[in-house]
Amino acid sequence: MIKLALKDLKLFFSDKRSMLLTFAMPMALITLFAVVFGGTGGGKESRKYDLLLCDLDNTPASHHATAQLDSLKSLNLIPEQLENAQNLIKKGKKDAVLVFYKGFADSMVAGSALPVELQYDEAKEAEVGLLQQSLIPTLMMLPFSDLGNIPNMMQNRFDKMMGNAADNKLKNDMHAQFDSLYKTIGKGVSSKKNVSADKGKDVAQSFGMGSEIKMTKLVSATNDNSVGLVQAVAGTAIMMLLFSVVGIGASLLDEKQEGTLKKLLYSPLHPNSILFGKMIYSNCISIAQLSIMFVYANLVFALDIYHHLPSLLLMILATAYACSGFGVLLASIAKSRQQVQGLSTLIVLVMSCIGGSMVPTFIMPAFMQKISMFSVNYWGIQGFYDIFWRMLPFRDTTFLSRILVLALIGSVLNLVALKMFNKNILKMT
Amino acid sequence: MISVSNLKKSYDSIQALKGISFQIEKGEFFGLLGPNGAGKTTTISILSTIVEPSEGTVSIAGFDLKKNPAECKKTIGVVPQEIALYNELSAYDNLLFWGGLYGVPSAELKTRSEEILKLFGLYDRRNDKVKTYSGGMKRRINIASALLHKPVVLFMDEPTVGIDPQSRNLIFEVVEKLHKEGMTIVYTTHYMEEAERFCDRIGIIDDGRIIAQGSLEELKKSCQMKETIVVSFVLLSDTIFDQIVSEWKDLKRIENSIHFYSSNVKSDLAKIIIRCSETGLDIVHIDIQKVNLETIFLSLTGKQLRD
Ligand SMILES: Nc1ncnc2c1ncn2[C@@H]1O[C@H](COP(=O)(O)OP(=O)(O)O)[C@@H](O)[C@H]1O
Ligand SMILES: [Mg+2]
Repeated sequence: MIKLALKDLKLFFSDKRSMLLTFAMPMALITLFAVVFGGTGGGKESRKYDLLLCDLDNTPASHHATAQLDSLKSLNLIPEQLENAQNLIKKGKKDAVLVFYKGFADSMVAGSALPVELQYDEAKEAEVGLLQQSLIPTLMMLPFSDLGNIPNMMQNRFDKMMGNAADNKLKNDMHAQFDSLYKTIGKGVSSKKNVSADKGKDVAQSFGMGSEIKMTKLVSATNDNSVGLVQAVAGTAIMMLLFSVVGIGASLLDEKQEGTLKKLLYSPLHPNSILFGKMIYSNCISIAQLSIMFVYANLVFALDIYHHLPSLLLMILATAYACSGFGVLLASIAKSRQQVQGLSTLIVLVMSCIGGSMVPTFIMPAFMQKISMFSVNYWGIQGFYDIFWRMLPFRDTTFLSRILVLALIGSVLNLVALKMFNKNILKMT
Repeated sequence: MISVSNLKKSYDSIQALKGISFQIEKGEFFGLLGPNGAGKTTTISILSTIVEPSEGTVSIAGFDLKKNPAECKKTIGVVPQEIALYNELSAYDNLLFWGGLYGVPSAELKTRSEEILKLFGLYDRRNDKVKTYSGGMKRRINIASALLHKPVVLFMDEPTVGIDPQSRNLIFEVVEKLHKEGMTIVYTTHYMEEAERFCDRIGIIDDGRIIAQGSLEELKKSCQMKETIVVSFVLLSDTIFDQIVSEWKDLKRIENSIHFYSSNVKSDLAKIIIRCSETGLDIVHIDIQKVNLETIFLSLTGKQLRD
């Protein structure tokens, strides 16, 4: 018995690939998850957040506000026309646009609520939430700058608070109170030319009020597919597809083991057709699997698949093609079925993780989002987002570019697979 | 039909074939007889184009194997040493699949599959999955799947290994029938009985070389093998033995019996019996050991065909 165990150990240690799988895989996975969820010890990486800015007011006051926001470390302001900005968001390229409407400066002087609006993609709600947190203190502080009229603002706020309930006498009394109050603090505030950010914030907070930002969902308004549903269906479908496609690829190795591959080679068939046969088989299964997933999502969760049938079909084809190539490639690299199993589990999990099958990419740190582009999952999921969430039309270039990327991935994988197949599989019969 | 010249094949460290040459005529039944590891499968693999030789040339039915592998492949049928079938498919579906690879038209393929299933006695079970078959039945389907395109040349690599006597006899009958119908057959085996039974000509292969080839008679002659007459006596005294040795050169004594080596058993046997009665020796037992492939192989290599 011990001899048997020793023999197995010996075999194991002589197979470097399977060793790598056994040890490196769990390590890699642990590291990966840690990075994704931001738990690495390397300190918090402050990420610059791309925020589109549309200044319709275009006055010294709005410029000042822009400068204030620009000075924030966490923000990277990109000036943009409103229409362009909205398009970018709809296509999922940017998360949100901050709009300063006309009358921004006047409101500042009048001390009324600032006409500021944040238009955003609901799919990016988590991101936008964080964004809001860094925006609000700065925006709240704006009326307290030299350009703002604090007493007017106080009075307006108060009026709004009281509404029609208060009679004019009370209002006037209160206004007078505000004036004197402001004068007292104002000594401290206006005596210094530059109000420090903290001070301004403190003052604003001490009054218990701030500028509110009007929040508008740009994308959610147009469709009733929930972002969570699209994420779940697309993410899971692609991950499971990858797993099943690996199984298909592995059947090539089964054939080798069973001797049927050799027997196929006796026939006048061109050896490459054996691989092509597998590719076709794998594509068929993939297309069927994806289609069934979406039909299921339609039946059970009422995902609106009929509305975008041509784009959806195109997307399914492209995704199936890319994923199949992946399965076939794995099979032609590995030497045994066991190896395929190990190798593929690792790669599928990693790709699914970075590509957004497990957690949506938009909650990942910026550099992870860049890395995620190296996965089939990313392009697939984004494509399905385009269809169901961003409601991009069939001819949209963003959507078509995803298709193109998927087709490219598939072609490259298939080509490499062919090379490896000729080198590995055929030579070892 | 088949011409093989100076075939060599090296795997990383092993030289599996060290220069093999033979010619096979149309309709001939050629046997490759040799122990495990001799290079039989390697030879068949090269002939069926799935292994590239390190050196040497092969032509099949007039086509050069290297220049025109596709044409060669169409001419040949291969029965691999290992059973290679899709276990999850029925025997009938397996036949349709393997035949389909050779471009047999589907109507013809169907009738041919049924014929062959009957020939191999598996027609009744044609729709059962192959995984439910016994080893012998699988072997039969394994052979059947190589015959659907009516190959001109059939390669069979140890087709009867690990098989029940019933299946074995059935396979023998089919093989003999195919041979009678004019098929050229290359048959490898390490059973000398099979080689003796079927083969028009035999190549004896050992350690990557063909050490002798020809018909059974030719092999016997070329080896100058003598048959052995073993005579056992009740008692063999030294004085009588010395007397016999002086009269008969080629013999060996083992206790109370003498092995006479003879190239003409009939006349020698009569002489021996007469001589023995003259000397008053009591014969207990006479045995004649004929020359066969086993003894030829033994004399050529000093090894048993099977260990
Ligand atoms: N793929 C291979 N790699 C390395 N050595 C091999 C390979 N195939 C066969 N051999 C070696 O070549 C020799 C001949 O093998 P083979 O042709 O299978 O013999 P046989 O069929 O007569 O039993 C053996 O020593 C075997 O170990
Ligand atoms: Mg063999």
